[in-house]
Amino acid sequence: MSDKADIQRRPVNRALPVLLGPAYLWLAVTVFLPLSAMVYFSFLSETPIGGREAVWTLSNYGEFFDKAFYRTLMWRSFRLGAEVTLLCFLFGFPCAYVLAKMVKGRWREALFLLVILPFWSNALVRIFSWTMVLRGNGVLERLVNVFLPDVGSLNLMFTYPAILIGLVHSYLPYMILTCYISIQAIDDDLIEAARSMGAGRFTVFRRILLPLALPGIMAGSILTFVPVIGSFMEPRLLGGRNGTFIGTVIEDQFTAVFNWPLGAALSFIMLGFVLIVLLLAAPMIRRAST
Amino acid sequence: MKRPTRYLTTLSKVYLGVILLFLYVPIVVMAVMSFNASPLYALPLELTLDWYRALASNHKLIDAGINSLKLAVMTTVIASLLGTAAALAFFRYEFPGKRLLQILLYPPIAIPWLIIGTSMLIFFFWIGIGRGLHAMLLGHVALALPYVVIVVSARLAGFDRTLEEAARSLGASPLQVLRYVTLPYLLPGVVAAGLFAFAVSFDQFVVSYFLAVPGVSTLPVEIYTAIRKGFTPEVNAIATLVISVSMVLLLAVARLYKFGGTR
Amino acid sequence: MTVNTDTLLGRLQRSSIAVLVLVAFPGALLAAEEIRVLNWQGYGTDEAWALEAFEAQTDISVVHDYFNSEQEMLTKLRTNPGTYDVVLINSAFTSVAAREGLIQALDLSRLNNAADLSPEMRDNAGLSHDGKTFGAAWVWGLTSFAVDTTDIDPVPDSIDALWDEAYAGRVGWRDDAVESVMLAAIATGQDINEPTDLDAIRDKLRALKPQIRTFWSSENEWNQFMSSNEFDIATYWSGSASRSKSQFKLPVEFVIPTEGAIGWLDGLSIATDAPHESAAYQFIDWMIDPAFYVQWDTDVGAPASANAKALEQLDETAFNRQILGDAEKLANVQFMGAMEDSQREAFLALWQGTKTYLQE
Repeated sequence: MSDKADIQRRPVNRALPVLLGPAYLWLAVTVFLPLSAMVYFSFLSETPIGGREAVWTLSNYGEFFDKAFYRTLMWRSFRLGAEVTLLCFLFGFPCAYVLAKMVKGRWREALFLLVILPFWSNALVRIFSWTMVLRGNGVLERLVNVFLPDVGSLNLMFTYPAILIGLVHSYLPYMILTCYISIQAIDDDLIEAARSMGAGRFTVFRRILLPLALPGIMAGSILTFVPVIGSFMEPRLLGGRNGTFIGTVIEDQFTAVFNWPLGAALSFIMLGFVLIVLLLAAPMIRRAST
Repeated sequence: MKRPTRYLTTLSKVYLGVILLFLYVPIVVMAVMSFNASPLYALPLELTLDWYRALASNHKLIDAGINSLKLAVMTTVIASLLGTAAALAFFRYEFPGKRLLQILLYPPIAIPWLIIGTSMLIFFFWIGIGRGLHAMLLGHVALALPYVVIVVSARLAGFDRTLEEAARSLGASPLQVLRYVTLPYLLPGVVAAGLFAFAVSFDQFVVSYFLAVPGVSTLPVEIYTAIRKGFTPEVNAIATLVISVSMVLLLAVARLYKFGGTR
Repeated sequence: MTVNTDTLLGRLQRSSIAVLVLVAFPGALLAAEEIRVLNWQGYGTDEAWALEAFEAQTDISVVHDYFNSEQEMLTKLRTNPGTYDVVLINSAFTSVAAREGLIQALDLSRLNNAADLSPEMRDNAGLSHDGKTFGAAWVWGLTSFAVDTTDIDPVPDSIDALWDEAYAGRVGWRDDAVESVMLAAIATGQDINEPTDLDAIRDKLRALKPQIRTFWSSENEWNQFMSSNEFDIATYWSGSASRSKSQFKLPVEFVIPTEGAIGWLDGLSIATDAPHESAAYQFIDWMIDPAFYVQWDTDVGAPASANAKALEQLDETAFNRQILGDAEKLANVQFMGAMEDSQREAFLALWQGTKTYLQE
């Protein structure tokens, strides 16, 4: 590695705009300008397309605070995000640990691939496949009834748990992957040393494993939490009448109701809450990245 | 108590098995259902190849599949080029605003796709870029770009700069250094990043959904429409094909690059 | 894996034949015109046999795009000008689309079969705007509910069956604001077009909470739910019920409740900037032709035709002739009128609030 002084001595030359220009121009057109346009739209009274007259208004934001069900839905979406993230951690972390520390050699490689393979398949198709497993008289119900004939109908489809199952299935591989990478980097000798000095399993977990694996846990949590908050396809397909969330309402504003300004305002309110959550988690993220 | 007891090892193996079962059961069910005769997914199973035959003449799904492939390939090429260039710039130069530019890479990851997708819809529609394959390509590259920069930067972090210096002092031009020293070292990182970009694009539903126009869509969008508006097991058939192909692809890549294996 | 390569090879062969044909007869490409139709999935215009016959006769091929609600249909028209040729619109929404300039005024003299349309359907107020006709009357039918006759016997004749405790957790309901409010209006004895007591409707809809199994949004979904026994009783459309019976062999029975049902009329319209206007007229004419309708109703199942000649040609025992021709049974049916924006928004707000309540 060269030292810092050497790097700084290089003049900021002509290569810089050539190297960075295309990427950031692209991001500007596809992310930053669209987000700005969305801010603008969220203050309009109507979708200004097809000769409609729009005036400035705050009413789209007011709508959110006027109508209780928007708040209910926002809360439900955040609860869903938190629960899915927690479940992914509870199931994914031990799995990552077993993979990283208890399986060796070729087996580890093979099992690791098996775990991340589903991530390579289509997310939508995986959600749909759950509808076939969970539905009434479907695969799961028939299987359970073979062993426990008295149970009868499970009534799992179109419930909140069905949405949880589908989402955990979608995001579990992310969590396992990120945790695996950080657990693998932990020196075995460190754990051995702690154990030989008399630390119990739980102490080792709390004092060594958890802090050292924190970067992976945080990365996995963000990669899970953020998309789940905005999910609309999964609740629609698995949730039935329990599948109304803020994401589905926002989608409706764009594809059906044609109230883009309201959709934009709801999106920014949601984004605001996401940022608040990320800020609250910031101390942990900072600790994780040092 | 100091080593994992036999009982614990067995338990952990069983646990791993249960997780794998959870991950694979729905995929297997879907594949099996693609051979089931009932269009309403009724059980018990009656084997048939009808849905695969129907798929062969379903132009909507096949066209959507071709669109998805085209998009994924173009996204991979463009995102790899732009992302690698940006990663090189961050690695080589110190300049005012560098930190800010790095932070600006995160919005595509840290903002829900729903918001990214709808804001693109608003903006593209408004200024006349419109929707369709070109708009989806714009969106997919934006989503893949940050991942490429991150993966390539990770590879660069382990690069020994004295190699470049040595090449330069032996009389190589900057372009020659790039061509013969830097890029060969970077290649595995770029390939991994490219794979990531391919997966992001090929699997992308939300952004494509908002940018699709009637008659031009991608496989995930077409599958979603099919599920919501009248579904046939042909979709299971194409999904099974897609999953098989992508899994074989990943396995091949894994054999070549051994990522995730021993370090 | 053999399946995979087989289909791929088959496709390759077929497409290479197609290329050869095109090279040999370039004229084939020039003559062919393609129109885009916007409709519900599986609702007549996309019957494969009909499209083949239409293409054989006119050289016009038809592609489809589908919607799941009138709202979505309107938004598709708004955001895709110059894309669609023919669009199916419920008469309650025709004037909305016309007022927004999404569809064009029709010249009925360009439709050979227009003369055979029943006058009360052809001249229905819902299909016109500003004194001009914007929709060609196509089919009409009823919305109420259907029951699974293996689970429910005898078949109930009151709309209160949807609120019957005996079917708690077994009811399927379409997630649609207008339809939900109107059904509740019937159940509370109100006018569906101008309900005065919205509170009573809200309470009636909230009372569905223990009843509803899930929402359905498309006919195909309805069939899947019925077939997997998720529902015993579910709101439904008369034409779709006959399709479920004849095509999918489901043991279902459509009910016209004594309290009444929602009557609707669907018309076919042409989009404002339709790229293939005259082909669109030809297609609409084909669709209101008795030849198409009779085969549709007999082989597949359909709502009642707005074409009097077509209905006459049906079998005497056909539901659309026997039941829907029976004035007594239809005495309490209320037809949907054209809707004002403000009213639709009020219905939507009421339904969204109710939905949130239903899932708490």
